[in-house]
Amino acid sequence: MATPESNSPGMNRRSFLRTSAVLTSGLAALAASLAPLRNLDDFPSVEKFLQKYYKEMTPEEMAKVLKRIEHDVEKQYGLRPHVRDLRPMDGVEFVYALNLTRCIGCRKCVHACVAENNQSRNPEIQYIRVLKLPHGSLDLEKAEHNSDPAKVPEKGFFYMPVQCQQCKNPPCVKVCPVHATWQETDGITVIDYDWCIGCRYCEAACPYWARRFNFTKPEIPKEKLNLEMAYLGNRPRKQGVMEKCHFCIQRTRAGKYPACLEVCPVGARKFGNILDPNSEVSYILRTKRVFIQLKEEMGTSPRFFYYFDV
Amino acid sequence: MSLNLKTSAVLTGLSCAFLALTAAFLLNPWGRPQAREFIPLVDTNFLSTATVRQSYAELIRLKADLSDFDCYACHEKGKPPTLRFDTNQVLIIPTEHANLVMGHGSHNRNNNCFNCHDENNLEQFQTRDGRALKLSDSTPLCGSCHGPTYRDWEGGAHGRTGGFWNKASGETTRRNCVECHNPHAPKFPGRAPAPGPHLLHPDAHIAPETHAAH
Repeated sequence: MATPESNSPGMNRRSFLRTSAVLTSGLAALAASLAPLRNLDDFPSVEKFLQKYYKEMTPEEMAKVLKRIEHDVEKQYGLRPHVRDLRPMDGVEFVYALNLTRCIGCRKCVHACVAENNQSRNPEIQYIRVLKLPHGSLDLEKAEHNSDPAKVPEKGFFYMPVQCQQCKNPPCVKVCPVHATWQETDGITVIDYDWCIGCRYCEAACPYWARRFNFTKPEIPKEKLNLEMAYLGNRPRKQGVMEKCHFCIQRTRAGKYPACLEVCPVGARKFGNILDPNSEVSYILRTKRVFIQLKEEMGTSPRFFYYFDV
Repeated sequence: MSLNLKTSAVLTGLSCAFLALTAAFLLNPWGRPQAREFIPLVDTNFLSTATVRQSYAELIRLKADLSDFDCYACHEKGKPPTLRFDTNQVLIIPTEHANLVMGHGSHNRNNNCFNCHDENNLEQFQTRDGRALKLSDSTPLCGSCHGPTYRDWEGGAHGRTGGFWNKASGETTRRNCVECHNPHAPKFPGRAPAPGPHLLHPDAHIAPETHAAH
């Protein structure tokens, strides 16, 4: 008569040990193979996940969201920012004018913009491109972005900085499938970075190559962070969302000039309220030789004007 | 018994698969995300909003050393200094003013000190139409010759602006002619440009040339 252990069909000591050893090592291996999940630490919080669309938020909800953003930024960078939700002012429509006779192509505006708007330093995201064009032509096919001469301006060339043109008829807004980008009453086309799904349709639609995509997590050194932030402006973006020039919303809606204008050493950049007949931009559009809106034939009607002296 | 064997086989297979996954995650044979190429931060000089020069009015405001503007520490009052020209009618700059570079006007046409300075009172300016202006009030002096530019400056199309566009929020700062232009050589010298966009692809710089070729 055999022992119950040897003839029981289900379990004996040996098979139990074997099975449990296999099971243990299998579970350990499963746990180890799931280890990369630990690196997924930036799951959105519940409040962030359930956050409403910008235009649907009540002031109280917005205040809560701003607090949360301040907290998130502090958690990431160790510095407490001041985040505001600045709304467009009544009777204000912003217009930019750029004097092509004066611009020397020094690219100071590019970097002042990066510093002001907390753009990723690595990989580099820049809103302004300074095109170098030969005299006597406005053929953008001949434009060069990457020139690096010892001294500017160079003989025989002129420079044309291009950034978001804040179109009156913006193609980027039309293609957005989730209404994460729209035109405000003061003429600035804004992006809700928390609503953007990163489909990049707007980037494809923009004829000025003004929109930038965060392919990776943006990298900003802590000491370079600009702590004066706006919800629709320069608050830090996350991976997978679009961004672009917003006329420095955190400055201009507080009455200040944009950062690119302040830094321009030759005074080629002009900005102001076109609805005010005494503003600089009104004077320029009235009296100067305003030559182009870039790619006028596209019908986008930019709020960014290029003009010449003489 | 065969059921038992099958279970063991499946479990062993699964364990092996998980172990292989673990090894794969640890060894990462398909490559970790590549370390990003280092991009140096831009020189903070390129972020400076300061003007190249300071006007006399600005120096007074900052209570700076104004001894350079005390003309009669060296010159004699009531005795207009004489100007000397070489054979090509180019002004000879006296050694006491060797730091001045003259380059005003195309072909250096404006090479007479007393087109702007008042020879009878060196501590003020004179316009061509006979007005006397203080050293701190040089903008109308420039405007007396450069009319259209002066008009554009007043309208806001020429020159640097800063501060607030909205007068209700704060003050708009306007810069005077001499805060950017050297009055003795007003044309801007060339300057080194800030670094261009970083080329993510090492061969990217070839692209424009090949593009231009066809």
